[in-house]
Amino acid sequence: MDKILDVRNIKLHYLTRKGAVRALDDVSFPLYRGETLGVVGESGCGKTTLGTALLNMPTPPGKIVGGEIFLEGKNVLELNERQYRTNIRWEKIAMVFQGAMNCLTPVYTIQKQMMETIKFHREIEDDQALERIIKYVNLVGLSADVLKRYPHELSGGMKQRIVIAMGLFLEPDVVICDEPTTALDVVVQAQIINLLKELKQELKLSFIFITHDLATEAEVSDRIMVMYAGKVVEIGTNEHIYGSQGASHPYTRRLLAATPRLHQQVEQLAFIPGTPPDLLTPPTGCRFHLRCDEKMEKCMKEEPPLKEIGPEHKVACWRCY
Amino acid sequence: MSEYILEVENLQKWFPIRRNISQVIKRERNYVKAVDGVSFKIKRGEIFGLIGESGCGKTTTGKLIMKLLEPTGGKMIFDAQDVTYLDTDAVELYKRKVQMVFQDPYASMNPRFRISDVLSEPLLIHKIGDSREDREARAIKALEEVKINPPEEFMERYPHMLSGGQRQRIATARTLILSPSFIVADEPVSMVDLSTRAEILHMMKEVQQSLGLTYLYITHDLSTARYFTDRIAVMYLGKIVEMGPAGELIDNAKHPYTQALIAAVCEPVSGNVNRIKEVPIKGEIPSAANIPHGCRFHTRCLYAKPECWEMEEPMLEEVSGVGHLAACRRWKEISGEKGKVSETA
Amino acid sequence: MKLNNIKRSMLSFWNEFRQTRFGIFGLITFCLFVVIILFETAIIPFPEASTRWRDISYWEDNPKGAAPVWVNWFTSTKHTPQKVITDVELKREEDSGFEFIDVVIPYDYQYDIAPNDIIFHAMTRGEVTLMISLLRPDGDEILLTEKSVNSTTLRDLRIPISTNSLDNVYNYVKQHESFENIKAKPKNVMNSMQVLFAKAEEGMLQNPASLQGEYQLKITAVILGEGEFLEPNLVISGNVFGLLGTDSFKRDIWSGVIAGTKWAMLIGLMTSSLAVIIGVIFGVSSAYFGGLVDMLMMRFYEIAASIPMLPVLIVLSAIFKPSIWTIILIMCVFSWVGPVRTVRSIGLQIKAETYVEAARALNASHSRIIFRHMIPQLIPYAFASMALSVPGAIVTESTISLLGLGDPTIVTWGQILRDAVSGGAVLQGLWWWVVPPGLFIAGMGMTFAFIGFAMDTILNPKLKTR
Repeated sequence: MDKILDVRNIKLHYLTRKGAVRALDDVSFPLYRGETLGVVGESGCGKTTLGTALLNMPTPPGKIVGGEIFLEGKNVLELNERQYRTNIRWEKIAMVFQGAMNCLTPVYTIQKQMMETIKFHREIEDDQALERIIKYVNLVGLSADVLKRYPHELSGGMKQRIVIAMGLFLEPDVVICDEPTTALDVVVQAQIINLLKELKQELKLSFIFITHDLATEAEVSDRIMVMYAGKVVEIGTNEHIYGSQGASHPYTRRLLAATPRLHQQVEQLAFIPGTPPDLLTPPTGCRFHLRCDEKMEKCMKEEPPLKEIGPEHKVACWRCY
Repeated sequence: MSEYILEVENLQKWFPIRRNISQVIKRERNYVKAVDGVSFKIKRGEIFGLIGESGCGKTTTGKLIMKLLEPTGGKMIFDAQDVTYLDTDAVELYKRKVQMVFQDPYASMNPRFRISDVLSEPLLIHKIGDSREDREARAIKALEEVKINPPEEFMERYPHMLSGGQRQRIATARTLILSPSFIVADEPVSMVDLSTRAEILHMMKEVQQSLGLTYLYITHDLSTARYFTDRIAVMYLGKIVEMGPAGELIDNAKHPYTQALIAAVCEPVSGNVNRIKEVPIKGEIPSAANIPHGCRFHTRCLYAKPECWEMEEPMLEEVSGVGHLAACRRWKEISGEKGKVSETA
Repeated sequence: MKLNNIKRSMLSFWNEFRQTRFGIFGLITFCLFVVIILFETAIIPFPEASTRWRDISYWEDNPKGAAPVWVNWFTSTKHTPQKVITDVELKREEDSGFEFIDVVIPYDYQYDIAPNDIIFHAMTRGEVTLMISLLRPDGDEILLTEKSVNSTTLRDLRIPISTNSLDNVYNYVKQHESFENIKAKPKNVMNSMQVLFAKAEEGMLQNPASLQGEYQLKITAVILGEGEFLEPNLVISGNVFGLLGTDSFKRDIWSGVIAGTKWAMLIGLMTSSLAVIIGVIFGVSSAYFGGLVDMLMMRFYEIAASIPMLPVLIVLSAIFKPSIWTIILIMCVFSWVGPVRTVRSIGLQIKAETYVEAARALNASHSRIIFRHMIPQLIPYAFASMALSVPGAIVTESTISLLGLGDPTIVTWGQILRDAVSGGAVLQGLWWWVVPPGLFIAGMGMTFAFIGFAMDTILNPKLKTR
């Protein structure tokens, strides 16, 4: 398959006074053209940090300290900031930030805000810009008359659609969505998920869908990458993770066990005791071993590398060797 | 002792909307009918779920029960005593028996308070415990109940030093310290991580069973409601549209709104990626200031017929004989029509 | 643990504060003011300036409206500075029942403009006759005055030479000056000091040229019978004086300004802290109770805020005997409105916090919620707003004093200014009477404003993110 994005051994550290917080440690994955890659994990595992790393825009005091990001075969981390800004960020890789829908300016109409964004990036006539805005607003399932309205006149779902449209209208190849459905009601959530699916099919876009909710991920993503403490612990297709034979990494399995099911009476949900480790001083060996009930002697000493255990299925667990 | 710990009858909370001069002259009064005639009975020792989208009035109902708001109308009976309107002394007694767990445990604790301050606050307010040591002993006991180990170590910490799960445990410990019999839990797990969510629900259930508590669990999340509750009531625009035992209600939903909610829920199973999900609902939720006539769901219902908006609002009626009630005139027909509609849509 | 925590938060506050340049500047000037207050008596030449500001006798030896000494640095003609000569040798002789005491006081005169006056002081008892003469560098000895005093108790004898020596000096002038000039300037308009320190030549009356060199003041005291003559000393009343000169009432401005510092600080801090405490409690209560109470409180606030303070203050200080305490109290009554709006809006935010609702769900009383949950969050803001309202209070007090309604028992910067205005300082060009108190008012105001700005920039974002 055609890799639009190939991330190799990316490392992003937050350089704090106490030391380097290894928020991303050797994260590698490919993103294929026209697919949705889901990124799941508990909060603090590095999901959002990954998004900012792909934009080469780490939140201070973060710094990308190693690795490569190949966009269509070219390492974009070699570009300087200006080149990145004019050619890559938003142009090729766009991100819909968590809570972005609450960041629309309350004093401007939607049209004005979208117009400003588009004109910031493109030298374009007003009527052409408007044409494009209307095209994308229609694409996200809204009629053009929302453009005349102010953010407070719109519902949460509509605002989320606007924010997605703003992520799309520079026609990027890759769109990163960080928790786009979290603050929304179930019905609206389902509608946004449907929207993303339709966009993927119509525009042949590649999505990276970041969420902590495994159930949403199952609906949206072709492939799923499970992260724990700044590392990829499992990456596989939707079937590998959610299929009947079950996921391969104990962490993925336990996350799934902790997810309540709607159509299934569960007597007791299993949960993962403890909290993710402090990334200032990550534990030796497998980072999950402190909370893992399948751990072996080796897990405490040596860190398991990602192993390909099937086509498109990699796991970082000594149990799989 | 009656079977029910809490009976709510036709409870209403209308918030007046600010009027302009001409409305004042014309004596027009408009209200946001946040809670508009809600009735339910909660059995002793049961977990009752109140479900709905944001703005449906579920949180307002919780606040009415907590006496954080005064009801506009209706009746609340707690422990066979009318508690709709209470004087100051009675409120103090009532607030000992009824406690609340909030959505965001971090926000629900004063960031400048240590855990020992957080836990001794209810004791100070209700003048329980005659010395600092006595109060601390009670706090430690409550921490043990929510499985905070070792409790002494946590007493001097501040909320920001704890993990999300620990915070929600502390918040629960604070409600337990007055030995209540009824707890209103407003979205207690919506702000915590997936792995912690199960842990918190598990802990709450354990506490409930060991202390014989009754919970009112308010949530928008059907999946946790199914796992956690015994009975569920679904609210739409300030009114209960369907109510019944958790499993029965979800597996055998009769009201089209409940059906839409259920259809919208994501499940962690494979095979849905390339399918566009059918959500049998249309439009946006109307404003609570302007509730549609007749069945209040008819504007969004795919099955609505003129009778739905022309006739009076449908009452809750028994639909399956196991205490499963739905407020829909056409539930029988819809069960038959369902297949047809999804084909055409 | 709790103490530790306070320590830690103070430390982090200090670390941030250090980085605001104007904050540090404010802190340094604040420390300067504190040092001034602590060592007040050591740095002023008139330690009782604060209490005896309006006591004329305390200041009588000083020149009237003298400029600061350092104006000599900028002028070609040198003014005589104030000098007190106490270290004096006494020669006592006994002769036929009389006691003769000879005192010779040397004075090195190296200036162009003669002193204002020479004042001889001594403690005497009994019948004492004094003869004072001046030996000039050119060898002339002029008898200045003869005086007899008689007192039964030991008392201070004060002889201002200029007024007591007119006749003798005029006679001396007549020996040298031309007739026309003497005619033109009669005795009563003559400045005897100018003549005494002038070259003995024609024109010494009209146009004296100063005679520099060592002068000697010779005093012979005769005690008739039983008596005493002790501690003779000489005050050369210069026409430049001290660090900041004197006013038309002979008062030392430097002493006044320094003595006024503590009052300015007291007025500023007392008024602002009282006002802020009232304002914070009022604003929080208004926010917390909301509804009708809020509306009534805000209307009350608006009325209070729109009453012009100054006219009312003037009327009130005219009615009541103005003392510093009543002035502070009255200023509080008007300045508590300052923080109310902001406090109320912050209060509204805090009120919406879940932990306040949680406390209400626990049946917490109103006062508990206000004082335990809401006000602690406002303390940083309160401190900043306190620091920021200090300058206003100082200026207001000065204004009241300027209008002549200040506390008459103390000295404040405003009062010095007021005396300057009424004493015609501006018309007479006595700038040293006006500028220093003005600068001190500005300086104190700036100090607190800088500290307040620094606190505000550090603490306010924290309030917002909470």
